[in-house]
Amino acid sequence: MRSSDLISMSLGSLFKRKIRTCLTILGVVIGIASIVIMVSLGIGLDRQAMEMIAEYGGLTQITVTPGGGGMDMGSRNVGGSDPTAYLLTSKSVKDIASMPHISLVSPILYVDAVIRGGRYERSGQVKAMSLEALKEKYSDFAEGGLPKEGDTLAFIFGNMVKKDFVDYKTKAGFWDTGKMPNIDFMKSPLFTIFDVEAYEEAKNPDSSQSNSGGKEENAEGQLQKKGPPKKYLVPAAGVLKGGEEDYFQYSYDVCCDIEAITPIITKVFRGRPIPGQPTNKNGKPYREIFYNELLVIVDNVDSMEETETAIRQMGYNSYSNTEWVEEERQSARQRQALLGGVGAVSLLVAAIGISNTMLMSIYERTREIGVMKVLGCRLMDIQLLFLCEAGLIGLIGGLIGNLLSFAISFIINTITKATTSVIPGWLALAGIIFSIFVSIFAGYIPSRRAMKLSPLSAIRNE
Amino acid sequence: MPEIKGPSLIKVRDLFKIYKLGEERVAALNGVDLDIEAGEFAAIVGASGSGKSTLLNMLAGLEPPTRGSIEIAGERIEKYSESKLVEFRRRHVGFIFQSYNLMPSLNAVENVALPLVFRGMDKVKREKLAIQTLEKVGLKKYMRHRPTEMSGGQQQRVGIARALVLKPDIIFADEPTGNLDSVTTLEVMKLLREISGNGKNTLCMVTHDDNLSSYADRVIRIKDGKVIENIKIQRG
Repeated sequence: MRSSDLISMSLGSLFKRKIRTCLTILGVVIGIASIVIMVSLGIGLDRQAMEMIAEYGGLTQITVTPGGGGMDMGSRNVGGSDPTAYLLTSKSVKDIASMPHISLVSPILYVDAVIRGGRYERSGQVKAMSLEALKEKYSDFAEGGLPKEGDTLAFIFGNMVKKDFVDYKTKAGFWDTGKMPNIDFMKSPLFTIFDVEAYEEAKNPDSSQSNSGGKEENAEGQLQKKGPPKKYLVPAAGVLKGGEEDYFQYSYDVCCDIEAITPIITKVFRGRPIPGQPTNKNGKPYREIFYNELLVIVDNVDSMEETETAIRQMGYNSYSNTEWVEEERQSARQRQALLGGVGAVSLLVAAIGISNTMLMSIYERTREIGVMKVLGCRLMDIQLLFLCEAGLIGLIGGLIGNLLSFAISFIINTITKATTSVIPGWLALAGIIFSIFVSIFAGYIPSRRAMKLSPLSAIRNE
Repeated sequence: MPEIKGPSLIKVRDLFKIYKLGEERVAALNGVDLDIEAGEFAAIVGASGSGKSTLLNMLAGLEPPTRGSIEIAGERIEKYSESKLVEFRRRHVGFIFQSYNLMPSLNAVENVALPLVFRGMDKVKREKLAIQTLEKVGLKKYMRHRPTEMSGGQQQRVGIARALVLKPDIIFADEPTGNLDSVTTLEVMKLLREISGNGKNTLCMVTHDDNLSSYADRVIRIKDGKVIENIKIQRG
């Protein structure tokens, strides 16, 4: 028999029993829709989790921190004779950069600074890193842009940094008053004071004395110099895109090119230890600048583990989202299996429905099947005819089930106002294929039975 | 097993069919020997329960015999598997049923073309052939009618056309007029006679009606599972 005849005959007999066919298909529709919707929920949740991970530094990013006790020299007890052994230096940058699969390594240095603009000031850290790292992390600017190589020091401001500025007389800022400080980073002149200690002291001698009592011993000689420290005019290179309420991971950042800031802080703290940098046993600073962190970006997710292991073997500590991602993936798989299983139960019920319908139809058509056999229809063709009917039920059910799933998915997403349910193309396709497969499977036993019916049933007269 | 020889299209030798009914064994066929020549119109006549239907079923390969041999068109079919029997029927056999057994959802042409569908013939070709055959049985103007829109006689003509369309070596007819009134019976019998023509087609009809045997070239009378009479009628 030609396959076109096979299909048209199957369609014909499905069409002859419209109500029964519709009800059987409805079972499949519900079964497939529930599987697709359940899996789509799993995928949606998974995607939300991955988006969250991406927000916290992406999937290929490793943060390297110093090994041993870190930058605090007091608690350092590793490294043998050299207490700076596992600290992060320009050599560490080179070492890591020479490893395979590395697309970027940048030092990160946190520099304490007070930034003043008009009557507002912000006391906090400035994140210094290489130009490549700046380019990698900060791409969308509302105004201005990235500094260029060789430029004098300029800051990049996050879109919500303004909230950290306070009135330098009243000490009241956005968090106290709810009023946004009126600073235009790009237009108004901005001054930066790097010697924060001296600045605070000049402003309020009593309080700073008691606060920095411990440190005074170390920096004894230098603190004798009184008077306000030098102010630097550091312009803004750019302000990141986003409204004042559009938080993202860089919203509160102030950052700059590390090459531009190091000469300045070295100059400011000449002969004295730079705050936050380690000192030797005698309280004297080292020549080198030690970085707080290294930012490492790997060229593909699969090399993450290998790279992290290598970095740890070098004696550094590292942090990345790999484990989190792995955990997340695993729980996503479990979630999807569970949700899919719930859906599968309803498809199983539908499959039983198909078997039942087909068996009934075979008993009804015993005579017809007998006649077909007498007229010389191949046994295989009879079986195919019934499998084809079952397959068509699956196909139609799968198609309608998918349409229903898209509709339900749309409704869920509208209600939750998020992409809670995601139906990728492969899921829709898999749904249809699965539906056909299950239906044919359900039709198999009835089709065998049809094949084995005796041709004599055609002869019997009622 | 007896030797099979001669120019016959159908050769049956020593055919037994024994049914088991609980402990008892009932012989529906009790050693049948017969020959039907090519081009003959044979009538197997017998009362109900005589075993004539069982014989027909066996000749058409619908039921396996318990013992004995059946040779049709040079093939020994008594040991054929079911799928081989289907294959055999597709190549050699046309079948006319007592209750017509037309597909109710198909019209006359489609019903006649059905055996051709099973042969994998394409639609244009098989429709053409089916219409030609319907014309032979005088039903061309009813070709788009469904079985429910036709009289019993017309339905049986469609059934006859369906058996003819394959140009089979042999056509079996199981009480072809059993559901028809006497007038229509006459028409159908005339048609069968016509189809048989003068040796064009081989027909093998089973009937309980002795009168109908007058249309045949050969009358085989069956009683209690045995052939009691086998006469060739010379037609002028």
